[in-house]
Amino acid sequence: MAAFHLQIVTPDRMVFDGLAEKIILRTVNGDVCILARHIDYAAPLGIGEARVTDENGNTRAAACNGGLLSVSGGNVRVLATTFEWREDIDVARAERAQQHAEEQLRALQHDDRNYAIVEAKLKRALTRIHVGR
Amino acid sequence: MAGASMKDIKLRIKSVESTMQITKAMQLVATSKLRRAKERMESSKPYAAISHEAMAAAVRSCQGEDIPFAAVRPVKRRCYVIIAGERGLAGGYNNNVFKGVAAHSEGTPWCALPIGRKAIEKYHRLGVELLSDEFVKVEGLSVSLCYRIARRLIDGYEKEEYDEIFLCYTSFRSMMAQEVAIEQLLPIQPAGHEADEKPVDTVYEPDPAETLRRVLPDFLAGRLYSALCDSFASEVAARRNAMDSATKNAGTMISDLHLKFNRARQGAITQEITEIVAGAEQ
Repeated sequence: MAAFHLQIVTPDRMVFDGLAEKIILRTVNGDVCILARHIDYAAPLGIGEARVTDENGNTRAAACNGGLLSVSGGNVRVLATTFEWREDIDVARAERAQQHAEEQLRALQHDDRNYAIVEAKLKRALTRIHVGR
Repeated sequence: MAGASMKDIKLRIKSVESTMQITKAMQLVATSKLRRAKERMESSKPYAAISHEAMAAAVRSCQGEDIPFAAVRPVKRRCYVIIAGERGLAGGYNNNVFKGVAAHSEGTPWCALPIGRKAIEKYHRLGVELLSDEFVKVEGLSVSLCYRIARRLIDGYEKEEYDEIFLCYTSFRSMMAQEVAIEQLLPIQPAGHEADEKPVDTVYEPDPAETLRRVLPDFLAGRLYSALCDSFASEVAARRNAMDSATKNAGTMISDLHLKFNRARQGAITQEITEIVAGAEQ
């Protein structure tokens, strides 16, 4: 399969910089899959699982959260807020975060402006647990 | 007389020596911190650079539409995000930033979001309105904190508390050279380095404006984080240089004092001999 240049960066480091065959990401509108020779494209990222297939056909899973996916001139860039490969995820910590968020949610009203923030926290924790297991 | 001045000189030497010990220790600490700070700075650069490019491209693709956060409105007030150090003793590091801000902000009313204890103290003293004074530490500042700062900035911008946001930080050029840099954060300037290029046909989902709105906090936080890492590396480098020259100065001072001490001692001996000889001759 044809490969393309993929860069995955978070504010504090470059997570991946190399050739890839395929990447599946969750954008705000749903999952998208990018292959080589994709047209120029940009979409904000949601919270969800990402799957990267490198040039050798190995697929790695990761928990990806927020940011931007941008394809331009055959280069694919993922600007993620956080991007953790499956093996780097601390599941125990995510479970604690999940519990904490659930407790907070029970105490909040739906129209509270913090509700969305805590809900996003919960979603991130659930994604990490899902990917990490 | 000679005896008293010998004692004085001895005391001076002792005090300069202990000062030198401190400056030397600070220099060593700065040197060891510098490597990590530089690594952090390097690894924070790609995100800031790529997101800047992506934002500029999105703004160009919005042509003709009403672009959020890119529309220039009449400037009633500016906001400066000022990154300085937590401590002094770093040569002109803090002062250069303050001077840069003073020169840039002339003529327009402004408020500040200082980061680093020295900046907070300075602008508090000057009576500038501070958006927040909780960001005391620069070292080890996390990405999530940058997100908090970014959200606060966007919040104020949307409420029209200010109409322009500038970021003032120190850019690390080399070990010997650090420069103050002032950049506009908002409104976003579409003029990237490839501003003359025709807008590319990019598919945006949902649309460019919505994409911009959603990604803006990420863009700002990444920019801030990178600037913070840059500033911290500059601060450590400036402190290392300052302490290096302080240690050197202390060294020259000590050898000067030793010379003076020896001269005074010699003078005292000579005087004593003269006195003894004079007494024997009588």
